[in-house]
Amino acid sequence: MSVTNRRGSARRRLATGAGVIVLLSLLSACDREQRRFRENPPSASPSNVRVSALQPGTVVDTTHVAGPYDNNAWAVSEGQRLFGWYNCSGCHANGGGGMGPPLMDDTWIYGSGPEQIYNTIVQGRPNGMPSFAGKIPTPQVWMLVAYVRSLSAQNASGARTSRSDHMMMYPGSGSLQDPAKPQQSFHPPASEMP
Amino acid sequence: MLQGGLRGALNQSVLEASGPQAAKVEKLWWFAFTTAAIVYLLTMAALWWAAHRARRRELRGERLDEAYAEPRMTRGVTWATAATLVILLLFLGTDLLVGRTLSPIPKKQPLTIELTGHQWWWEVAYADSSAHGRFTTANEIHIPVGEPVLFLLQSPDVIHSFWVPNLAGKKDLIPGYTQSVWFQADTAGLYRGQCAEFCGLQHAKMALQVVAEPRTKYEEWATNQQKPAANATDPVSSRGREVFLTGTCVMCHAIEGTSAGSHAGPDLTHLASRRTIAAGTLPNTRGALAGWIVDPQRIKPGTRMPPNQLKPQDLDALLTYLQSLK
Amino acid sequence: MARCGPEASYCRRQALTFVTGMRLVVVLSVLPLAAACTREGKPEPPREAAAAALPASAGPRASVALDAEDGQWAMPMKSYSGIRYSQLTEITPANAKNLKAAWTFSTSVMRGHEEPPIVVNNTMYVLTPYPNILYALDLTLPGAPKKWQYEPKPQSEAQGVACCDVVNRGPSFADGKIVFNTLDDHVVAVDANTGKEVWKTKVGDINIGETMTMAPLVVKGKVLVGNSGGELGVRGWLKALDLASGKLLWTAYSTGPDSDVKIGSRFKAYYPKDRGKDLGETTWQGEQWKIGGGNVWGWLTYDPQANLVYYGTANPGPWNPDQRPGDNKWTSAIIARDPDTGEAVWAYQQTPHDLHDYDGVNESVLLDVPWKGQTRKALIHPDRNGYVYLMDRMTGELLSAEPFGYITTSRRVNLSNGSLEEVPDKKPEVGKVVRMICPASPGTKDWQPSSFSPRTGLLYIPHQNLCEDEEGVEANYIAGTPYVGMNVRMYAGPGGHRGELTAWDPIAGRPAWKITEKFPVWSGTVVTAGDVVFYGTMDGWFKAVDARNGAPLWQYKVGSGIIGQPITYRGPDGKQYVAVMSGVGGWAGAIVAGGLDPQDSTAALGFAAAMKDLPDATQKGGTLYVFSLP
Repeated sequence: MSVTNRRGSARRRLATGAGVIVLLSLLSACDREQRRFRENPPSASPSNVRVSALQPGTVVDTTHVAGPYDNNAWAVSEGQRLFGWYNCSGCHANGGGGMGPPLMDDTWIYGSGPEQIYNTIVQGRPNGMPSFAGKIPTPQVWMLVAYVRSLSAQNASGARTSRSDHMMMYPGSGSLQDPAKPQQSFHPPASEMP
Repeated sequence: MLQGGLRGALNQSVLEASGPQAAKVEKLWWFAFTTAAIVYLLTMAALWWAAHRARRRELRGERLDEAYAEPRMTRGVTWATAATLVILLLFLGTDLLVGRTLSPIPKKQPLTIELTGHQWWWEVAYADSSAHGRFTTANEIHIPVGEPVLFLLQSPDVIHSFWVPNLAGKKDLIPGYTQSVWFQADTAGLYRGQCAEFCGLQHAKMALQVVAEPRTKYEEWATNQQKPAANATDPVSSRGREVFLTGTCVMCHAIEGTSAGSHAGPDLTHLASRRTIAAGTLPNTRGALAGWIVDPQRIKPGTRMPPNQLKPQDLDALLTYLQSLK
Repeated sequence: MARCGPEASYCRRQALTFVTGMRLVVVLSVLPLAAACTREGKPEPPREAAAAALPASAGPRASVALDAEDGQWAMPMKSYSGIRYSQLTEITPANAKNLKAAWTFSTSVMRGHEEPPIVVNNTMYVLTPYPNILYALDLTLPGAPKKWQYEPKPQSEAQGVACCDVVNRGPSFADGKIVFNTLDDHVVAVDANTGKEVWKTKVGDINIGETMTMAPLVVKGKVLVGNSGGELGVRGWLKALDLASGKLLWTAYSTGPDSDVKIGSRFKAYYPKDRGKDLGETTWQGEQWKIGGGNVWGWLTYDPQANLVYYGTANPGPWNPDQRPGDNKWTSAIIARDPDTGEAVWAYQQTPHDLHDYDGVNESVLLDVPWKGQTRKALIHPDRNGYVYLMDRMTGELLSAEPFGYITTSRRVNLSNGSLEEVPDKKPEVGKVVRMICPASPGTKDWQPSSFSPRTGLLYIPHQNLCEDEEGVEANYIAGTPYVGMNVRMYAGPGGHRGELTAWDPIAGRPAWKITEKFPVWSGTVVTAGDVVFYGTMDGWFKAVDARNGAPLWQYKVGSGIIGQPITYRGPDGKQYVAVMSGVGGWAGAIVAGGLDPQDSTAALGFAAAMKDLPDATQKGGTLYVFSLP
């Protein structure tokens, strides 16, 4: 085989390899970018959700159910829009809290698993979280769950919404949300819930 | 379906101007078309003549390179540059003149309408000299015939463009910036407009209607729109109101006179007085409304309104209530 | 461009044509730019309080008719005039440095303690933040042991609709009963001796976002109470309940038609801008007045001679002003009412169409002032919008309105027509960030009450020095959820200090002296005839300063930041005691009380951004401290 031929076939192999890599990387974005407008039936509500980690007797496996939209970028951004529309931001600000507790730190009063957050939204909680059952359709609740989890960096980084920097004096100076690593909370070890 | 005394919905077209703004745009269009056509024909003629002359010279056996002597080249370039500059100046002048005539606000205080473009519907707020006289509606604009109307254009999300071709040219709604455009309808009628700047999944189904009617009819309409929603008196409407207030509807829609006050979606206080729903996508009939409430994603996939599963009696009551909101 | 070679003439002509053409293009393209240039408005020069004058001058002084001093503290303001002045003289600038902690008491609640303890008949009553437990402590025994406690058991869900921590601003004593409000909209009367409930009346609904945090005022056998909820679209009101039975006697709304606001034949607004029919309805779009705010969560004062109750109404809702065009009456206003019927006698709206959450609920302290040769019956009202208003309390006429902090949002108050001349550049809009809004939303002074000494003639105003950035967002009204529509980020004002204690001369209209503090001074002040002023800081220092010149006398570090109202009383042993609650929280301390995350600068409606160092300076707590001389 001549030198030219060897180089030619090497180039062809390189081109084929590059093409395969490009195609594969495109595939990985599929789930992230899917837009599921008409969930039919809508994502179901979870059952048997535990809020406490204590179980008498033998402990049953407590792996969390994955949220249906956790790694879907479109759903997380819809969750961001609904977070403002439904006045979640009125009590929780942009993750920092106010009337309600912060959602971007690592303290979770009622659990951080997707199904636990789902139940918190739908059932409400006695110390002030309203119950949104019947007011927010189920797929939208899952979108909110995905967004809330993204605030503390609990989902794939590619599916998180972009930072809102417009209030800051210059970009990055303590932006509204910076969930590279969830902030350690200021709660003292002992619970203060009456 | 259309009120007596109005022309039928016109052909939505720039070439059927019904107002002074659109008339000027139409004139400009014809001017540009005519000029371009003439220039085009002249250019084609010159091209044909040049090719024909070259062919004749070739046949005569002359050397073609002799034809391209320096003086002719300079003269050609000079003529071309001069002609271009003259035409440019002509266009600039016309543009400035047209711009001047399109932009000024008439001296007397015009009716002011704040138009906010959302994805994918139009929020229309009628400003009044007093705060109390203001009211909000959606997707359908009524204006009095023959009077100038000032539109203040805003957008909270992405760039849209307000375009009612029969009445005026396009004007963008840019987030963070309030634009203004004024126009006037000289003939009573129903004019269709649409969003003219790609704004997302349902940009194609973001239409609106402008109803130009005599002053007295407009006043009647405006007075009615200022009132809060009619009280639900019969049991079916009352049940429908209860369904509205206890279900998902209150999270996004407002009905003045009830506790529903959310501005996320269109204001429904006088829903039954509009000709279309879903930003001009569907006629405002019971069946279309039912289909829209139950599954908007089938009609406008990606729209902000989610599907709503309602029990048949509840849906029936809700429709009766909504259709009573005149 | 290549230089012209041998065929120079042709080349040069080509080059010339090219250059001329280019110049023409450049000129033509610059013309439209010239038209697009806008003229930038000149920035408004900000208002600042006049530089401090010499210490308490010998000039004319305001005065107050004082009740006889009984050594008690029966209501949060001590007296109907609101001056929070004690005639006890044992503690003086000379001996204040010897003050020692006498005893303490834990409330078992770790939220913001804005209330004062009250002292009646040798018993001290302590009301906690949610769950609003009322303790009675026996001052006659050593260590003040608990006599009884009363638990109203308010609904826990009320915590979810309380905008600014679950505080309570104190109980009142009247006719053998202790009267107070609970977070979930109940007014309670408890027998002061036994702790048994006498009556409990529900006056509001948490499901529309309504709560109650204010201290009731009892006037002529009527309990006057108001609601909270301006951040949740709650319509404000003032109600009167019968002290004996708890029955509702009348309700005066802050918005709506004249019949609801109780504006009738007796009403006369001093300024034309406040005159008209049904202004509480016509200055709103449509029916927005029904969710318009104007709540009554601040201080009420009472003039027994004129038989008038004075109070301020809170901000209109939502914060985003474009959603509620019009003057929005009667929010951010001072109203004078007849307590027998509730009818309004006069009103003045100091901040029409409020743009920055400048509630009008601050105290209207009642003074008599020598003004231009006459003695006027006046009130002095340090407002959120940055001005100290001195007004004739019989008619609502403005005598003076001077800034007591740094202001960029307005130029001045026009005394001839009563209008606030606002700076148009500082108006927030949706999608636009407006910066350097001073004072910030908590105002130059928020709820924290000031005190007045007839001896020095000075008003001791605890307040803050904050500015903010605001960005409007569209607010959606969904009953029971917040209705705000604004992203806010606060920071320290000029000077870098976030708190101040200003000794204000009401007649001169400027400070006599000022003390700056690192954190906002969110506690109240109390002043004594011994010429000592007491106040607390958010990082936990309880301080005494000389009332004449502000010289520091004594300070004591308590367990948690102080946001409460200090009081002083005479104990059963005849000694003078000073008492204050410690337990940081409230809107300013929400970052600690709520465990908020300061990564988000908009947390706690923007306050968290200004208080990022508070968690390092103090912890949550809930303890009563009592001090005395040894």
